[in-house]
Amino acid sequence: MNPVDVKSLSKTFETREGPLLRKKKKSLIAVDNIDFSVPSGQIFGLLGPNGAGKTTTIKMLCTLITPSSGDAYINGNSVCKDPQKARENLGVMLTGERTLYWKLTGRENLEYFAALYHLQPSDSKKRINYLLELVGLADRENTVVENYSTGMRIRLSFAKALLNEAPVLLFDEPTASLDPQSSRLIRDIIRELKEKGHAIILTTHNMDEADILSDRVAIIDHGRIVTLGSPSELKEKVKSSDVIEIEARNLSDQSTNALESFSEVSKVAVSAVDSTDDRGLLRIHAEKGKEVLPRLLDFLVRKRVSITKVSFIEPTLEDVFIAETGRSLRD
Amino acid sequence: MRKVSGIRGTVRALGAIFWKGIKHYTRYPGGFLLYLILPFLFTLLIFGMGQFIGGGNAALNFAARTGTSNILVYEILGSAVWMTSWVVVEDVGVALRDEQMKGTLEQNFLAPVNRFTLLVGISLTDIAITTCIFFIVVGVTLAFTMPGAYLGLLQAFLLLLVGLVPLFGIGFLFAGFVIKFKEPYVFTQVVNLVFGALTGTYYPVAILPYWVRGLSGVLPQTYVIENMRQIVLANQTLVSLYGSIFILLALALAYPTIGYAIFKQLEKKASVTGELSKY
Repeated sequence: MNPVDVKSLSKTFETREGPLLRKKKKSLIAVDNIDFSVPSGQIFGLLGPNGAGKTTTIKMLCTLITPSSGDAYINGNSVCKDPQKARENLGVMLTGERTLYWKLTGRENLEYFAALYHLQPSDSKKRINYLLELVGLADRENTVVENYSTGMRIRLSFAKALLNEAPVLLFDEPTASLDPQSSRLIRDIIRELKEKGHAIILTTHNMDEADILSDRVAIIDHGRIVTLGSPSELKEKVKSSDVIEIEARNLSDQSTNALESFSEVSKVAVSAVDSTDDRGLLRIHAEKGKEVLPRLLDFLVRKRVSITKVSFIEPTLEDVFIAETGRSLRD
Repeated sequence: MRKVSGIRGTVRALGAIFWKGIKHYTRYPGGFLLYLILPFLFTLLIFGMGQFIGGGNAALNFAARTGTSNILVYEILGSAVWMTSWVVVEDVGVALRDEQMKGTLEQNFLAPVNRFTLLVGISLTDIAITTCIFFIVVGVTLAFTMPGAYLGLLQAFLLLLVGLVPLFGIGFLFAGFVIKFKEPYVFTQVVNLVFGALTGTYYPVAILPYWVRGLSGVLPQTYVIENMRQIVLANQTLVSLYGSIFILLALALAYPTIGYAIFKQLEKKASVTGELSKY
């Protein structure tokens, strides 16, 4: 038995859409028949774009959403049949900073949740002192959370997930909106938790984070796990192609789609470099990249694309995602 | 990590929820102050309307219909109970939705705590808040108008405590409704005003049409207000009012049972539809 066993887990949401009196029922498959397990002392990354089904998966694992079919076991406890037992074995950090009571101080927040997790008062005091120190908030413990910065709130939320020293930890985008220094702190703590034997599930759309932290990664898209393995195994799969990255202006769908007509090109994905300007980033998977590059550039220039940067890069998990789905993670 | 198990764990969780609620009240004192002022303002409003409509005979008509000439105490007792019911419907009914919108509801539901414990914890805060409202509003009024009526005040308070139990049941019911249907304040504003109109807050229930009185008869506040007036203004005792106290006790059993059962069903449905996470 692994601390986390997910078996044929699915979730379909029924929604009603349309004008007031003519609403139609619509089914949305958020998670589609996924299976995975996480042993002790392992970090399992769930990587995918927004809306891929990562958060729904996490919410089913932590019993906030009832699965449509399948089941998941947390330390042997079914999330469907024995949700309270499952919760006892879980430490969860959900996305965002609005997971705390803003009118309570940092310490009061932790004391409150320690009581909900039934921690012994004497133990919980020591644990809270330790956690406040760990996330660098000991000197601000008596400040109300509304006066914290976003980073401080996220660090406190992270500490809250560690209160009950649960064998299974679920972190949903734990470093989103954090500055580099705080992100590094959180990543270091996650590694330490892994060394201590916790089974950790980490959702992220940050491929670098998934790469450096995870022992195994499941790439999830449209609710399905499209591929699963260690980061190096996954990247090995796309090593047969060269990855060319082209930063350019004036990219059109027509010109980027046409790139796929080159026989050497297997995948093309485009994403925005920055939402504030019109630059786009083309990621092209091609065999014999160096040979085909001049022809690709020539083609783009003829299509009036203004190229600002060209480079060959090492394949990343993003390239695995592109190879599997034909889209960029940042689409 | 050692854990407090069983009933001790539940008591510890209840204590934490209670103190969290009290801290919020003390750090957002505006709401509490409003609950203290409103009974006096509503009473003033009713008093003015009575004078305007009843003219010179207003006081006589009032005495003939209520059996007392102490208009202020009569109206303040109704107001105080109405505020109590207002607090419970707003707090217990809306608290979970409020937490849902703040993002903290999921955090509470992630803990290995029974949902009933969460609702009872919120209710405990309300017992403290409504006790304060009652003693400040009614105590101050009696101190100025009927000094020495301490025994009546104490009995009225005991009656209020019994009356709070079915009110919490109504609160549980609304907690389920607002998680499912959102828009909590539409619900609570309408319900609070209907409660004010049907339970004899400012006039005897006897003046209502027969069929409306049927609705009044299933609302606990009706019995609390009427009996409280009997105790404070007509020197009755809790023992002598055993008939309606018995009805109140029956409602105290029925409402929380029905309210929690409906809450559980709606909460279960919300967990299937993913509603719990929707702001």
